[in-house]
Amino acid sequence: MLPQKIIIDTDPGQDDAVALLLALASPELSVEGVVTVAGNVPLDRTTYNARQVLELAGRTDVPLHAGAARPMRRDLVTAEHVHGPTGLDGPSLPVPTMPVRDKHGVDFLIESFRAATPGELSLVTLGPLTNIAMALVKAPDIAARIGRIVMIAGTRLEGGNITPAAAFNEYVDPEAADLVLRSGLPITMVPMDVTHRCLSTKARLDALRALGNRAAVAAAEMLSFSEAFDMQKYGWEAAPLHDPCAIAFLLRPDIFTGRKVHVGIELKGELTYGMSVVDWWRVTDRVPNVDFLHDIDAHAFYALLTQRLARLP
Amino acid sequence: MAERVIILTDPGQDQAAAILMMLGAPEVFEVLGLVATAGNIDLAHTLRNCLKLLELTGCTDIPVFAGCPRPIRRPLVMAEHVHGPTGLDGPDLPEPWMSADPRHGVRFIIETILANPPDTITIVSLSPLTNLAMALIEAPEITGRIRRVVAMAGAYFEVGNITPTAEFNVYVDPEAADIVLRAGLDLTLLPLDVTHKMLSTPQRLGAFAALGNRCGPALAEMLRFSEAFDLRKYGWEGAPLHGPCVPAYMMAPDIFSGRRINVSVETGSELTLGMTAADWWGITERPKNVFYVRDGDPVAYYHLLTHCVGRLP
Repeated sequence: MLPQKIIIDTDPGQDDAVALLLALASPELSVEGVVTVAGNVPLDRTTYNARQVLELAGRTDVPLHAGAARPMRRDLVTAEHVHGPTGLDGPSLPVPTMPVRDKHGVDFLIESFRAATPGELSLVTLGPLTNIAMALVKAPDIAARIGRIVMIAGTRLEGGNITPAAAFNEYVDPEAADLVLRSGLPITMVPMDVTHRCLSTKARLDALRALGNRAAVAAAEMLSFSEAFDMQKYGWEAAPLHDPCAIAFLLRPDIFTGRKVHVGIELKGELTYGMSVVDWWRVTDRVPNVDFLHDIDAHAFYALLTQRLARLP
Repeated sequence: MAERVIILTDPGQDQAAAILMMLGAPEVFEVLGLVATAGNIDLAHTLRNCLKLLELTGCTDIPVFAGCPRPIRRPLVMAEHVHGPTGLDGPDLPEPWMSADPRHGVRFIIETILANPPDTITIVSLSPLTNLAMALIEAPEITGRIRRVVAMAGAYFEVGNITPTAEFNVYVDPEAADIVLRAGLDLTLLPLDVTHKMLSTPQRLGAFAALGNRCGPALAEMLRFSEAFDLRKYGWEGAPLHGPCVPAYMMAPDIFSGRRINVSVETGSELTLGMTAADWWGITERPKNVFYVRDGDPVAYYHLLTHCVGRLP
């Protein structure tokens, strides 16, 4: 079977980095490009970090494009309090040398979807949805050509993380999230309800570290750094692992459960803006627009992650 | 000495259970009066239902007052789809012979609090908070004299019931809830997070029916009627039993657990109107204004409720 072609839109971030490594290590996926966005840290840092991760995986052949440096309508909010000042604190990675392509990430998305056969190329978003929202405004014709968007976004039963109501990615650019959710595109949303089940326990990080290859060891060091904030906040034995869940869904949809529901994004409420309003129980007449995942087999997920990262340098 | 309470209520079968529980525990609760509220059903029906319940229990010396027939700023939203056209469908209760006290419910709240020593009167709220909020506006001097307010209201981890993000009592009158939450009262909330753990399984309803008195079987019939909607909606083994969480918490706080946190109500946006943004993880600087109950022991809860109802005629 031919590999599934994807573009990854990301704001690394340690968990973004592990998601990139998982995708690059999986023969079922062909990563056609990486686009960066401002989110966990500013754009120059996320782009720098993406270069480091591609080099760590030995995949400097993957085209890397810098996307939007700011959300569509709001001031940028970042999360150095979780990810550290560089966004990729933890391992000591070399200064990257691979180039960033000249073309803006939004234009790369547009041209890639126009060049692809309709449906054959999908998008995975790990950060705020600014780039794809901008692309849909600039070139609405691409909507009919995008296979699917698998996004790390949303929360229902877990409440929010950056505010009591909102998850980080939609909080940073709620207008972009709203635009994408109203686009009519096939969307799979991987929310905090799923990612909070995937706790990076000591045993799981030790298993990665024990693989001994540089990518797996670096992944374990990254997650050991970033989990400190969440462990203190939640009082749990380990931290949630978010972004690799989106890649895992492409590889093993059978280890997830979910439901097709309506998801709207709150834009106006001061207390609640950026919140994903999920009509799980169908108490409204809103038409379902999202495959909203609800649960995951965390053991199978970590087994997959460990097995795949072993394939990298 | 029994706690002297005013009950704000819009029965509603689950509130009937709460009222029966309190009337069956006179050593804990001295019920000074019932203030009927518009909510689950219109005021004329909730008033009549209060009278029916007092006659059912033989507590006909307790006065009933009509409160406001509408929320402070919004048109009334009701829930006949859950509770039936009378709000108390299920058993065949006779039309009441008692009549309501002619004083307005808001006036009764104010006069009772001012006529008694400070910190001796507790407000038990099972309904939208309209009448308490109106009393606080009309007579701000009562604020510091109220012993405590214990209210069934809100949702965080369980999100919402009347909309994807709002619990009914808060949704019906979000401005009233906002006024009460900002008043500086000693306030405890029993939200859906805890009431959704208290499922009225067939075995638990059977225990009411088997009490052998008049009230137990009537309560079982009420709850069998009202649970039909939730059983269909959620597909659970029993329906959540909301109202009695309030008196049960007051009688046996040790079977519940919670945290002191900030809870704020969304009033500025349509999509998330009436949502209680609960800062469970302490990620904002908002002042702690509520003891928010998140969990409880359903076995102990139903045991206590059955015991109290069993002491009635």
